[in-house]
Amino acid sequence: MSVDLSPGRPFPDIELADHASSPRRLSELTAGDPVVLQFFRGWWCPKEQAFFRRLITLQDEAEVAYSRIVSVSVDPPAVSAAFRAGLGARWTFLSDPDRSAQAELGLRETTDTLNDPYVPAVFSLLPDLTIHRAYDGYWFWGRPTAEELRRDMREISAAIRADWAAPAA
Amino acid sequence: MTRCWLALVAEQAAGATVQAEVRNADGEPAGWLAAWRQRAKPVRDARRIDERIIDPAGTPAWISLVLPASGALLAFDDLAVQHARRRVLAEPPQDAVSTLMRDASHFEGAITVARGAGVPRLADDPFARIFPARILRVGAGVLGAVAAPAGPTIERYGSANPWPWDRFERLEHRT
Repeated sequence: MSVDLSPGRPFPDIELADHASSPRRLSELTAGDPVVLQFFRGWWCPKEQAFFRRLITLQDEAEVAYSRIVSVSVDPPAVSAAFRAGLGARWTFLSDPDRSAQAELGLRETTDTLNDPYVPAVFSLLPDLTIHRAYDGYWFWGRPTAEELRRDMREISAAIRADWAAPAA
Repeated sequence: MTRCWLALVAEQAAGATVQAEVRNADGEPAGWLAAWRQRAKPVRDARRIDERIIDPAGTPAWISLVLPASGALLAFDDLAVQHARRRVLAEPPQDAVSTLMRDASHFEGAITVARGAGVPRLADDPFARIFPARILRVGAGVLGAVAAPAGPTIERYGSANPWPWDRFERLEHRT
């Protein structure tokens, strides 16, 4: 039975190899910041390519807003590294080629028996991995817009930053 | 709070936590690379470093050491420093990287550690576009390997800790 990935529930602290083949824990990558956690089918999917263009537009904001992005697929590290470089992404890509985390999470796309990819899904997470919102991206319009991700990052930041109200005198 | 300091010194340093002899690309002696885990600055030219890259069990490594002349520094917010960090995040990771600093807001150098296939890429060190770099060979017992920095965030880490250290010092009070 897969885990409950509903808002308010803890997201499992999965450990996978990053695009450089180093083992990484999700809790390590959050570094105390809000996170956009994205599961994607693979480099070959045109819907993923379109969605990545959306994330790339957010990258420059996340860079200065103390927020993280993590992308996960079944592609091996070398493929993830090449895709990441082609996109110009500067965040961490995790690889699950043996589909261990995919099984734990219950996120295998059952309609694609050729690639057995992750079903497209996006989660906004608090730094302690509590799920803030979950998006089912099987249909493209189910995916979060850039504005929805900005809203999520704002809501989480407001909740966790003790100095969200500017210290001014 | 314990800090970690790094310096390239002419002779073996008394009291260093770890140190190893350094040679240049021609194999000629180039001093000693020493690190100290302590709060106080150990020697005049020491700079703070992300302590995760210091490893007494580390194997010999090549480094690109960017060390501006004393008094030459740039704000971490300078566009050149920002863009160098973006390039580090975007390019294939090396064994370890750390910026170097003495105060809370200025970039005063960087060290990039490479072994194996990463060594030729040291010649294209993004930080070497800010200040001159030296390619050096460091003996065993000083530098380890650390997982790649997690992007895309580049802010903050030059203010409290040398980038890419990625935690607020008071993180426990924020979450």
